[in-house]
Amino acid sequence: MSSFSIEHRLRKPAQILDIKGFLDAHTAPQLETKLESIIREGGYNIVVNFRELDYISSAGLGVFMVFIEEVRNKLGDIKLVSMQPKVFTVFDLLGFPMLFEILEHEDEAIANFRDAGNESENG
Amino acid sequence: MGEMQQSTNEMRICVPGNTAELQRVRSFVASKARKSGFSEQGVYNLTLAVDEACSNVIRHAYRHDNSREFCVEIDLEQGQFIVKIFDSGSAFNPLSISAPAMKEYFEKFMRGGLGISIIKKVIDNIEYIPADAKHPFNILKLIKTLDDRSI
Repeated sequence: MSSFSIEHRLRKPAQILDIKGFLDAHTAPQLETKLESIIREGGYNIVVNFRELDYISSAGLGVFMVFIEEVRNKLGDIKLVSMQPKVFTVFDLLGFPMLFEILEHEDEAIANFRDAGNESENG
Repeated sequence: MGEMQQSTNEMRICVPGNTAELQRVRSFVASKARKSGFSEQGVYNLTLAVDEACSNVIRHAYRHDNSREFCVEIDLEQGQFIVKIFDSGSAFNPLSISAPAMKEYFEKFMRGGLGISIIKKVIDNIEYIPADAKHPFNILKLIKTLDDRSI
């Protein structure tokens, strides 16, 4: 069994998702469902914290492609933080840093949302 | 699939065509790659390539049909770590798929098709042998040379 879990926090002005374990073709739909529900409730400032994510495949990367256009059209963003080097390698291999802001610390992502004036209550 | 099951041994694993099985396949490949002296990044990349190939078998060749099995076998020969993936689905040759141009991919917010790109980037040699009258299984071979174990 793949083990994967998601915890959701609010840290204004952002919604934070802490993802843990293994994100692959089996578990990616869980993340897709979670992001979908946050966005449907108007949360467009999203930070995904990868600190406890041990593995990602292209199915995991694909989840972020599903939502990034819509979120940016709403002047929000999906920022990715605290990746283990082996996980970052997968993003880097395919050039994802061209499209996504990938940061070392969650604090930087929050600061960037504040600097951009994204202070909405929904995050 | 009887033929595949009969030859089950410690260098081969056969699992149902279900994404829930990917974890088991990854653990199998990772343990063999570690024994062969790959670095942790090397183990990750090899495991990732096999995951991508098996995900494609489950999705494209088997269309998530749990009742069908595929097998992953590892051969060590002549300085090479060879992973063979056997499936009995419709032929799907990853070499016939061109990897997307990533600049356009991001500009147009495209989706899917990245597994093939990953396989091509991390594996040294790739061979695909479609099933025929003599060999009832499609075989995808992912070959990594052992002097390239760090990446």
